[in-house]
Amino acid sequence: MELGFVAGILGVLILSHAVYSTIQYRGLLKITEQEFSGPPMNVIVELLLGLILCIWASLTVPGKFKSIHPDSKENRIVSLTANLDFMIFNHRGKAFPSGKDLKLKH
Amino acid sequence: MVSREDEIRLNELENQVDNGGGGTWEYLCLLRKLKLRRSDKVLTHGLSLLNDPKKRSALAAEEWTLYEQVAVAAMDCQNFGVAKDCLNVLQNKFPESKRVGRLEAMLLEAKGSWAEAEKAYSSLLEDNPLDQAVHKRRVAMAKSQGNISGAIEWLNKYLDIFMADHDAWRELAEIYVSQQMYKQAAFCYEELILAQPTIPLYHLAYADVLYTLGGLENFQAAKKYYASTIDLTGGKNVRALYGICLCTYAIGQLSKGRNKEDKDGSELQSLAATALEKDYKYRAAGKLSILTSTLRGLKL
Repeated sequence: MELGFVAGILGVLILSHAVYSTIQYRGLLKITEQEFSGPPMNVIVELLLGLILCIWASLTVPGKFKSIHPDSKENRIVSLTANLDFMIFNHRGKAFPSGKDLKLKH
Repeated sequence: MVSREDEIRLNELENQVDNGGGGTWEYLCLLRKLKLRRSDKVLTHGLSLLNDPKKRSALAAEEWTLYEQVAVAAMDCQNFGVAKDCLNVLQNKFPESKRVGRLEAMLLEAKGSWAEAEKAYSSLLEDNPLDQAVHKRRVAMAKSQGNISGAIEWLNKYLDIFMADHDAWRELAEIYVSQQMYKQAAFCYEELILAQPTIPLYHLAYADVLYTLGGLENFQAAKKYYASTIDLTGGKNVRALYGICLCTYAIGQLSKGRNKEDKDGSELQSLAATALEKDYKYRAAGKLSILTSTLRGLKL
């Protein structure tokens, strides 16, 4: 978990460094009046590295993913709610009152 | 709707709370969220939380919902003293509240004083004629007095106004089934399936009603809905598996004289039978022989 976190921070730092290098490279090209066709090779490598690190961090840091399928083992619906809006109190439990001696103490 | 992991978590918490571990508040919150009716447990554990002033102050604003939950549980367990005390506390805190008024009327209903409860509900409805909960309590009161036809009528009027209320449709379907009015129950279940198509238990109930109605088209439709239940539960619902076998048998019985259609359904039946046998072998191996003989009888 911490490793994923560190990798994420590292990935973001690498990406921002790549952004900074590209801006500097463009500035340099403006001075020498050349066209900006694309960032230099090392910046591309840095971008890819940052991408891989960030993706890996975002997949490991949140922990266990929940399943999407409605019929998977965890998600399948086992029973319905008890429809409490229509609850009636006139049931057989009247003959076996539970907790008769319980009181609210204030 | 209670999913499998909710159920596992609930049983865990229940064990923990019953054996004196902590987690009472989480358990009560989970019960409130899943809308389950475990009144005896709510009463004992809720009161243990409320009677302890330290734990009560730790709840801050949530203690009033706990009072409400414990009051309803007390009414369900016929402990009217506790219910009255909780209601008094709530009344002192919220003097002119509709919600507390509703709880008072529920207490009258639980005690059995139907006329006074009816008066209380009517007065609440005068103030707010579109109060859903009060309408539903009136239907419940009619049902508990045994006036099923009155309950059906009130519930139909309620559903004319509030057509999107799934609980009400479900209640109406169950009342119709209890009165053996299966065609109307089928209509209610259709509405439920339209509103919430991903809940397999409605498909299952609808298929049961269709199978009870009988007739070739109903058996075929029931088979389709049993199949969709199996699809939505990942094959774990034993009742749906049995339903497929019985429907195929019933269809076979009815269409004996007619020309035998293409038996693409027989694959489904043999698959269902295999799944059933596997499940029984895993969970109830002693009854496997009964199952195999029953299935053999059905395949004729």
